[in-house]
Amino acid sequence: MRAIQILVDGFAISSLYSLAAVGFTLIFGVSGVLNLAHGGIMVVAALVGWLSAGELGLGTYAGSLIGVLAGLATAYATYLVVVRPIQRSRAIRPEETEIFVLTGTLLWGIMIQGGMAYLFTDNPVTIRPLISGVVSIFGVRTPTNEILIAVLAWAVIGLLWLLVNRTRTGKALLGASMNPRGVTLLGYELTQLYLVAWSIYGVLAGIAGVLLASFLGVSTTNAGQLTASAFSIVVLGGLGSVSGSLIAAYVVGYLETATAYLIAPTLRPIPSLILLVLVVYLRPQGLLGRR
Amino acid sequence: MAFLRSRLFWIAAAVVLVAALLPLWVSIYLLSVLTAAYYFGVFAMSWDLLFGFAGEVNFGPTFLIGLGAYTAAILNSTAGLPIPVCVIAAAFAAVAGGILLAVPALRLRGPYFGLVTLVAVLLLQNFVVIFAGVTGGEIGMTVPDVLSIDASINYWYALAFLVVCAALLFGLSRSAVGLILQASGQDAVEAAALGFNVTKHKVAAFCVSALFSGTAGAMLIFYMGTASVDTVVDIAIGVQIIIAAVLGGRRTILGAALGAVFLIVANEFLRPLGQLNTFVVAAIALAVILFFPEGLLGYALHRGERE
Amino acid sequence: MSGAVRLQVADLGKRFGGVVAVKNMSFDLKAGEIVGLIGPNGSGKSTVMSLIMGIARANSGTIKLDGVDISGWPSHRIARLGVSIVFQHSRPLQRQTVLENVKLALLPDSLLRLATAASVGERAREIAERVGLGGVLHRHPWTLPFADLRRMELAKAVARDPKVVLIDEPFAGLTPTEIKVFSDLIRTLRDEDRAVLLVDHSVKSVAALADRVIAMYLGERIAEGSAEEVMQNETVRRVYIGGKIEAVERKGAGAGQAATLLQLDAVEVFYGKAKALDRVELRVQQDEFVSIVGLNGAGKTTLFNAISGLVPYRGAIRFGERDLRSRTAASIARSGVVHCPETRELFVHMSVRENLDLGGGHLSKSERERQLAWVFDLFPILEQRQAQAARTLSGGEQQMLTLGRALMMQPKLLILDEPTLGLAPVILGQLSNAIERLRRERSLTLLLAEQNVTFALPHSDRVYVLDHGRITWQGDPVRFAEEMSTGYL
Repeated sequence: MRAIQILVDGFAISSLYSLAAVGFTLIFGVSGVLNLAHGGIMVVAALVGWLSAGELGLGTYAGSLIGVLAGLATAYATYLVVVRPIQRSRAIRPEETEIFVLTGTLLWGIMIQGGMAYLFTDNPVTIRPLISGVVSIFGVRTPTNEILIAVLAWAVIGLLWLLVNRTRTGKALLGASMNPRGVTLLGYELTQLYLVAWSIYGVLAGIAGVLLASFLGVSTTNAGQLTASAFSIVVLGGLGSVSGSLIAAYVVGYLETATAYLIAPTLRPIPSLILLVLVVYLRPQGLLGRR
Repeated sequence: MAFLRSRLFWIAAAVVLVAALLPLWVSIYLLSVLTAAYYFGVFAMSWDLLFGFAGEVNFGPTFLIGLGAYTAAILNSTAGLPIPVCVIAAAFAAVAGGILLAVPALRLRGPYFGLVTLVAVLLLQNFVVIFAGVTGGEIGMTVPDVLSIDASINYWYALAFLVVCAALLFGLSRSAVGLILQASGQDAVEAAALGFNVTKHKVAAFCVSALFSGTAGAMLIFYMGTASVDTVVDIAIGVQIIIAAVLGGRRTILGAALGAVFLIVANEFLRPLGQLNTFVVAAIALAVILFFPEGLLGYALHRGERE
Repeated sequence: MSGAVRLQVADLGKRFGGVVAVKNMSFDLKAGEIVGLIGPNGSGKSTVMSLIMGIARANSGTIKLDGVDISGWPSHRIARLGVSIVFQHSRPLQRQTVLENVKLALLPDSLLRLATAASVGERAREIAERVGLGGVLHRHPWTLPFADLRRMELAKAVARDPKVVLIDEPFAGLTPTEIKVFSDLIRTLRDEDRAVLLVDHSVKSVAALADRVIAMYLGERIAEGSAEEVMQNETVRRVYIGGKIEAVERKGAGAGQAATLLQLDAVEVFYGKAKALDRVELRVQQDEFVSIVGLNGAGKTTLFNAISGLVPYRGAIRFGERDLRSRTAASIARSGVVHCPETRELFVHMSVRENLDLGGGHLSKSERERQLAWVFDLFPILEQRQAQAARTLSGGEQQMLTLGRALMMQPKLLILDEPTLGLAPVILGQLSNAIERLRRERSLTLLLAEQNVTFALPHSDRVYVLDHGRITWQGDPVRFAEEMSTGYL
C-alpha cells in the first residue's frame, strides 16, 4: 500500500519538478543564463492564477490561464530588464558577465518575492483543482487532480519535444544552444531566438507554478526553495541537457517522496542534497551533461 | 609609508573618529543597528577578499560564518569556556572548514564551484537542524556569556573589530601577497607562467577569508547572545553579503564595509514598509549593478582615473 | 655565445582527444641562439610552446632544462627554474600600473612576504626602462598603445633572468618600425646568452632574426636549417603554397563588364589596440571567382568577419546597391552573402541532414528538397552519411558539409575561408572538383581565402595578396605565378 502511494505521489511531484527543471535547463542551454529568479516566476504565476480564479471570480480555468500568462510576462521582464542589459553592458568585463547576471537575477527574484508578498499576501495560496474527485489506483485513493497534473506535465513536455525537433524555430533554438555563431551565419537572428527561448521558458514556468498551486499550494516564501530544487535537479541531470533534467527530476522526486513517507517529512530534502554533493564531486557535469 | 600620508587614510581616520564618538549623541536603537552592521561589514570584506582578489565566487559565505558562530556558541554553552577561547576556537573551526571547502572546490570551474559553496551552506543548515539537541535546531540557542550589556560598549567592540579587520584586510590587499592574489584571480595561466603556485595562494585566500568570517561570526554571537540558522547560516544572509560587497565596489575591501553598513541601515529605515522593504533594497542593489557595476566606492575612486 | 645546450626536447607527443597535435618532435635549444619555430595554422608550434611551459601536459616524450627533466611539472615550477614565456596576446593586470606589473614578475612565490623589498622596485624600474617603458611607469595598461603592451610582456618575461625565453608570435600587430625595435630587443636577449625560441607562421619575419629555423606541419618537424634553406625546402614550399605555382588562363574571364557585387573601401578593423586590417580596398564582380592569398595572421578571417557583419569596422562595405554597415549579421547572410568560416561552425551534435535542413530553413519545403538533392549530387558522401552526427565525420567530410550547408542558403556571394585547412591532399582534389562544378552549374560569385596558393589559383579570375592586414598585390593569376613564386614566403 505504502509502496503504491509512494509511486503515485512521487510520480506527480516528479512530473511537476520536471516541468520546472526543463524550463530552467532550456534557458541555460540556449541563453547561457542560470536564472535565479526562476522560483519567483513560478510564484507570480501561482499568485496571479489564484487571484484571478478566486478573488476576481474568473473561475479556475480562466484563472489558471491568466496565471500562465503572468508567468510569461515575468519571464520577459526578467530577460529584458535584467539579463539583456547586463549582457550588453559595456561597463562590465566579459569574464564577469556571468556573475553579474547571476547576482542580477538573484536580486530580481528577491524583488519579485518581496513585491508579491507586499501586493497580495505571503500566505500559501492554492488554486482549486481543475478536476475534482478521487480515483482509486491499486487500492490507493488519489485525487484525480494529481493524475491530471502528471498528464498535463507530460503533455507539455511532449509538445516541447515536438517544437524543438520538428519545427524550424525549434531546431534553430537547438542549434543556438550548440553554436550561436553557426545559427547567425545561417541567417537566423539570435535576438529573436532568445526571445522565443524566454517565451517558452515563461510558459513552462508559468504552467509549473499554476499546477503546483493546485497540487500543494504556493507561497512567496517558497520562491528560493523552488529555484534551489530546479537548480539541483538540473545540475544532477547535467546543465544544458533536457533529457538529463527529466531523469534527474524523477530521481529527486522519488527520493524526496520516499524519504517523506518512509523516514520523516522534515528530512525530505536531505537525500537529494547528499546526492547532489556526490555528483558535484564525482561527476560535475551531471548524468548527461555536455558543457 | 606613502599610504599614511594619502588622502584615503585621512578620510578613513576621520570617519572612524566620527563613528567612535557616535554613542555620545545617538540613540541606543541606532547604535544596535550599526553594531550589527559593523560585524556584517567584516563578513562583506572577507567575501571581497575572496572574490575581488582571488576571483572565486563564494555563494555560501555563511558556511564559514556559521561554522565559527556555532562552534563558539556550543563551546560556550556546553563547556562553559570563556569568550576569548571560544572565539579563537571558532577561528580555527572556520579555517578548517575553509580548507575542506577550498581544496576540492578549486578543482571545479565556473558555476560548479559556486554550487559546491552553496551546497556546503545547505548541508550546514540541515546539520544544525538535525542535531537540534546541541544546536537548538531551527529555533536557535542562547549563549550564557555576552560581550557586554551596555549598548555603547558593544558598539565600540564592534567598531574596533571592524577597524582592525579592515586595516588587516586592506593591508593584505595592498601587499605583495595581495598583488599575487589579484594576478591569480585575474589570469591564473599568466600567474603560473610568472612562477606563482596559484592553487596555494587561492587556498590561502580561502583560509584568510574563513579566519575573518568565522571570528566575526563568533563575535556576533557574543554580541547578540543567541545563535540561530536565520542569523548566521541562512542563504539569505549570504545573498545580503554578496549584495553588500557588489554594491560597495569589488576589489576595494573598504567598499564592501561601506556597502554592508549602507545595506543594514537601509534595511532598518525601510522596515516600516514591511514586505516592501526587501523589494526596495533589492531594487536599489539591482539598479547599482545595472548602472554602476563598479559599485559605489569603485565608481567614486575610478572617476578620477578614467580619461 | 657559450653554445651550451639549455633545452632538450625529445620525442614530444600530444593529442587532444582524437586529434594529434604534436608527434615525434625533437630539437635542442642552445644558450645564445635564436630559433624560429614556424608552421601554418594547426601545425602544432604553439602546442609545443605550451608543453615546454607546462601549460599543457605531453602524452609522450621528455623535456629537459639543463639536464633536469621538467616534463609534467606545473608551470610555476618550470618558470622558477628559468623558463619564461611571452604569450601571443598581452596579459596585463589592468588595475595595476606598468611598474607594478613588472614588480609582480619579480616577487617570490611566498605567502608570508607582505612587504616588497625596496630593491624590487629599483630592479623593476631598471627592467622597464631597458625595454623602453621608462616614460610610462605609472600609467595603467589600458592607456598604453599596443606596442608598449608587448614591451611590458617582454619585460615581465626577462625580469627573473631566465635561461630560456619563449616568444609566441612576437610581431603580430606591430608596424614595420615597431618590428625592427622589437627585433633589436630580442637580439639583446641572445647577446645576454639566453636561449630564445620564437614561434611564428611567417618565415620572412623570423628569417632576419633567427639563427636556425625549424618548420612544422601537422605536428611534425618537416625541415630544419638556416632561414634560407628552410624557405627553399621543397616540402616546406608544398606545405605553405601547395606546390609549384602554376597558373591556368581563365576562360571567359570577362573582367570589367559585369556589375560590381561586393565593394570594400578603406576598411579598417581594430582588435583592441592592434590594427588587424589597414585601409583594405577590394572589388568582386558578378560571377567572378576572386582569391585572397596570404599567410595565417594576415587578416583574411578578419576581412571576412567584417563583410559578414561579425566584427565592427571602419570604412564602407557594399553588396550590390546596399551598404552592409547597419545590417545584422543574420540579415547579411539572408541577403545572399554566405560565409563558410575557417572554423566551420557546424552543429556537431546534430545529424548531417539536420545541419543541411537548417541551412535551407528559409526556403519553402519544395525548394529545400530540390536544393538538398543538388547538394547530395555534388557531395554524394553527405547523402550516405545523412543520419550521422556531424562530429563523427572526417575532416574532409565536415568541410563538404560546411560547404553543402552554405549552398542550401542559395548564396549570391559565397565566402570560403581556408577550406583546405588541415585536409589530406586527396580531399583537396574532391573539393577542387566541387568548386569547378559550382562554377559551371550555378550563377555564383566566390570569394576565397587560402594559404594554399596551388589550390586557389586554378579557380581564380583575380588574386589579392594580403599581408599584415594590407593588400600588397593584386592582379590576375598568370601575373601572380610570374611575380610571386619566389618572393611569396
